[in-house]
Order: sequence, then structure tokens, then C-alpha cells
Amino acid sequence: MNILVINAGSSSLKYQLYDMRSENVLAKGRVERIGMDSSILTHEVDHQPEVREVSEILDHTTAVKKVLDMLTHRKFGVLRNIRDIQAVGHRIVHGGESFSKSVLVDQEVKLEIRKLFDLAPLHNPAHMMGITAVEANLPDVDQAVVFDTAFHQTMPPISYLYAIPTVLYRKHKIRRYGFHGTSHDYVSQRAAEFLGKPLEELKLVTCHIGNGSSCAAILHGESYDTSMGMTPLEGLMMGTRSGDLDPAVVPFTINKEDLTLNEVNSMLNKHSGLIAISGISSDMREIVEAMNEGHDKARLAFDMYAYRIRKYIGAYIAAMDGADAIVFTAGVGENSDVLRKAVCEKLTFFGVHLDEARNAVRSSEPRRITTDDSKIDVLVVPTNEELLIARDTYRLIQNKAQKERNGSEERG
Amino acid sequence: MFRIVGVVGAGTMGQSIAEMLAMKGLDVHVVEQTSEKLQQARESLEASLDRQMERWAITAAEKKLTLNRIHMETSLQYLTECDLVIETISEDLESKKEVFRQLDGIVGPETVLASNTSTLSLTELAGTSGRPERVIGMHFVYPAMRIDVVEIIRGLQTSDRTFDRTKSFIEDVLSKKGVMVYESPGFVTTRLICLLINEALHLMEEGVASPEDIDAAMSIGYQFEHGPLELADRFGLDSVLAALERMFRDYGELKYRPSFLLKKKVRAGQLGVKTGTGFFKYGKDGERLA
Repeated sequence: MNILVINAGSSSLKYQLYDMRSENVLAKGRVERIGMDSSILTHEVDHQPEVREVSEILDHTTAVKKVLDMLTHRKFGVLRNIRDIQAVGHRIVHGGESFSKSVLVDQEVKLEIRKLFDLAPLHNPAHMMGITAVEANLPDVDQAVVFDTAFHQTMPPISYLYAIPTVLYRKHKIRRYGFHGTSHDYVSQRAAEFLGKPLEELKLVTCHIGNGSSCAAILHGESYDTSMGMTPLEGLMMGTRSGDLDPAVVPFTINKEDLTLNEVNSMLNKHSGLIAISGISSDMREIVEAMNEGHDKARLAFDMYAYRIRKYIGAYIAAMDGADAIVFTAGVGENSDVLRKAVCEKLTFFGVHLDEARNAVRSSEPRRITTDDSKIDVLVVPTNEELLIARDTYRLIQNKAQKERNGSEERG
Repeated sequence: MFRIVGVVGAGTMGQSIAEMLAMKGLDVHVVEQTSEKLQQARESLEASLDRQMERWAITAAEKKLTLNRIHMETSLQYLTECDLVIETISEDLESKKEVFRQLDGIVGPETVLASNTSTLSLTELAGTSGRPERVIGMHFVYPAMRIDVVEIIRGLQTSDRTFDRTKSFIEDVLSKKGVMVYESPGFVTTRLICLLINEALHLMEEGVASPEDIDAAMSIGYQFEHGPLELADRFGLDSVLAALERMFRDYGELKYRPSFLLKKKVRAGQLGVKTGTGFFKYGKDGERLA
């Protein structure tokens, strides 16, 4: 059983092909500059040199065709026939209030995703092009959609409502949705397995710290609160995003600097966070390097970044009236022992005792980085959003097959 | 849909349109007569992108990508691949006709030929083309990046297909509002704004109010981003004068007769933002001083 996972952007398309028996990645790659006469397809297969092909790819349908051609290519391919792809899973950023779990694509689902264009104007239209493109190329193959927001749909109104006139929620669905849901969901399950306790009995704070970052309070296996809001801008300080700030700063700045909406959006999303404070980089590795060389602004950026994570952890422990474990995941969370240390060493009030040797270990397995007598465990659990999309897709098509079997038995 | 766009003329409007198109992800070929003018245009494009970066509108990577999409050409011959060509040279009917005549033999039969003229006759321009049905007017308002309306002008022979392709390009690709207007000197925007500017000048001449107060009254009173006099400075007083003279000639109505003050300013070489002095004073980045 092979499943193709697709993450479609407006001018790019990333893909990974999974063999679900072993959960191995057979091939992965990306198409960039869709819509140009010199689009680039990069294709990678383990233990083989990367293949790059430049050609004219004007739309997503052609992009998917090129990917399928590459996957079945005589020399670089990994499949004999495109019929060896049994299903396709798509990552969708915004599922609004309509989707609280992954689903198979049908007319109704497509209509609903279209209705959500307003809430995620940069992402959802591009995802939709990905779905249509797969339909055009593989009309008989089932497609599933996996939403970044779905896992957080369990949040209670005290977490998801903003304290602004409720007509805005009713009219425009302005509320907290939260993102990275697939990741928060997965790492909390893995954390429970690691701790050897049922997830339903645990209180967890999960910290997805990567290019974008968010914390979540996972109460008894369900998302209770999360730091990203209606858009991925709220919450933690990130590489180029501001995270929380006084909303009055926005109109004040627009007025003082004579900015357009577009400019102020771009300022908060692309010119803030680590890059704004450090003045040198949005990449945590470069920040840590500069900080070690005595760069003051890099130090300040790092300290602010760590401090804000600590504040959210504190807030979520209070929100759940306690916590059993704190979980770090994603690029920075999995790899930066310096950051984890900076966050954890001032959580002693909660009974967190970091074990420096354990923290320094690099591994792709879930692990504990606190001492055995620490009251709250701190874990590092690697995430893998593509695999999760593949698994959800796999589960959905198996359920469907099961139902069809049952149906025919009943009729028979 | 149009992907490769030619822009003929690298003056203020040509640069502004080229920059906007490249920022939207399109490949742009800009044509000027001399490499000196092209060099100048490239430098001022870079400066403009730098200003956008300072205003946090774009990142350094986006600036580089944008510049890479703009190709400077010294001849119309390089526009063979273009799906759309927008002519933005100065408002002189004969030179514009010459450009359209030449383009006819260069671009493919499906290419749409557009003029950014604000006052000249589209039908007359189209008449020089062997395929007048593919000629249309696309009147952008300066600065093209920030102003999200385009007047789409139908000449007598412009086909529905040309109009539909142009309108969906403007609305779907450029995310701007396309307003359909039939050929008439000044269309909607230029006709209304030039009359407002001209009337503001009469107020000044008559000593009814100071330039500062005229602008304050209109910008605060009716939510104009700039008052009519600063607006005139930003368009360039020579351009305003030319537009008024053209409309005065075509309509023959006194209300279009340019004010004497405007003529005097232009004769004195005080053309507004581009010379640093008009009705107000400006810094080199176009910011108003005092």
C-alpha cells in the first residue's frame, strides 16, 4: 500500500511517497516556481543522487503530472505504474470549525474547504489546487485531507473566544483555531506511550518549536488551549513572526509610519521575531552561534524567545491545574539543547529538574531530559507531520474498504 | 492567462507598473531606447524596492526575486514572447502610434496590446494595428503597487475576448479592481481629479485659502490620502497641465482650461516631487518637507 503525501503551496508543491507496510519513505521531493517557464522539480530517493529537472510547469495539474512521471521514471522512479499509488493525503492549513478530524475528499468537503478561503487566503486556495490537480491526474484514487486546526477543535469557549464583540465571531468566525494540530496530537500520544500511562490520565504541555512555533495544553488527550490564534501569528515569538503583542500597536504603527494593511501584515509576519531583535538571522542555529561569539542582540533575541516559551508553559500548567510532562518537538525543539536548557532551568518552581547530560544527547527517538526525581518530566519527542498525514490517509481508506465489505455482506 | 509581460517605456509609470508586475510574480521585459535610460530605470527600481523593504513590505529575498524577474531590453524586438505588452511612453499620439505599428509585426497574434494612456484615443491607436480587436487601454493609477484600481478602456473595435482576458488578468492575477470605461478623454479618474486640482488652483489664485489649508480641508474633510495640490505635485505638474490641455482641446469646455498658476509653475520648472518643489517642498525620497 503506497500513499502519496502532498503539501501544495501557491507556487510550490512538496511530496513524499510512503510504503505503509514499513512506513518507509520511498521518494520525496518538491516542485518550485509553478507558473513559470523555468520550474524546478527536485526528486530524492534514498542512497541515490538528487535529480533536478527544469521545465515549464504552468499549473498544479502539470506539476502533479511531472511528479507522477518522476515516480514512475525508468531510471529515477520507484514505482512501476502510477496505479501503485493507492491514495493521496493532503495537508490543509485551515479547517475552520467545519473539520475536527481528517476526512476523505468528496464534493461536500471541497465546497467546505472553499468556504474557508477567507480565513486562510494564502494557504487554502493553494491546497485546493493540489486536490484538483490530483483529481485530474488520478481520477480513481481516494484523497484525504488532514487539517492543521482539526486537533484543536476540542478547545472550550473559554480558550477559543476572544474578548471582543461576539458579533464578530458569529459573522466572521473570528476566534482562536490553533495550528500544528497534527504534531501536537502525535507527540502527546508518543509521550503517553513513553511514560507508560494512558493519555486520558495525563496533563501535557506540548511545545512545537520550529520555523513557526506553538504551545498547547493537552488535557487528558484533548487540546484544551493553544498559543496560535485565528492565524499562525499569535503566541510565541518565532523566526520572523512577532507572536503576542498589544493589539493597539497595530493601528498606532499604521498611523505613525503611514503603512498599508499589506505592509503592516508583512512587518508582523516576515520582519519580526528573531530576525527583528537580533538583526542577523531568523534561524536559531545562527542565533546561538552569534550569541556564543558575544553578539549582544543575538543574546537578547534568544533570551526573549526562551522567556516567552517559559511564560506559556507556566500559563498552561496553571490552565490545567498541573502537568505531568512538558514535551519539546519540531526542528528547534528537537535539536536545540541550549534552548531547552534556557527554558527549563527556571522552571524549578514547578519541580522541573533538567539532567544536562540527558539534554545534550541527540537522538531521533523519544527521550526524557529531566532527572529521575523531577516532579514534571520533560521529554523530547520527534514529530513527523508527513508520516501522520500518510497514516491518517491510510486509516481512512481502510475504514472505507471495511465499510464497503460490510455493506456488500449485508446486501449479500 | 498572461505570464510574460512587456512594458514599453521606463518612465515613472513604466517603472511603477514593471515593479508591481514583478512583485506579483510575473516575468517583465522593460523596453527603453537607450541603455543609459535603462540603467537609470534599474537604479530607481532598486531604490524603490529598498524603500519597500524599509517599510517592511518585502524581505531582502523578495527584493532579489523581484529584480530577477525584470529584464531590461533596448529594443521592441525582444518582446516576441510576451502575452501582453503595456505601452507607457509619454502622451504623444504619433510616438505611440509608431510603437503599436512596430509591435504588430513582433508579437504573436494572441498577444494583447495595451496602452496606459490617460487622454489619447484608443480607437485611433488601434487603427494603426492590423488587429485592432486586440488593442485595449489599461490605465493604472500611480503608484501602481499601492493603488488597486485599473481603468480598462474599450476602443471602438476592441473585442469582447480581449476585454475579458484583460479584466480577469487584472482581477485574478493582479488582485485589482478593473473598471470598464468607454473611450473618452481623461476617462473617469483623470477627468475628475484634474478638474479638482484645477479648481483648487483657482481657489489659490483667488486668495480664498492657503495651499496648506486647501489640502487640509480636502484630505481631512473627504478622506483623501493627499490633498489636491500635493496630489498634483506627486503626479508632476507638467503631466497635469498636459492632461488638462488635452481635455480642454477635446471637450472645448472652459472648465478644463488650465489655471495660469499651473502654467507659470511649469514654465518655472517647478514640477512637483520630481524637481523637489511644486506647491510644497519634497525630499529626495518624495517625502514632504514641513
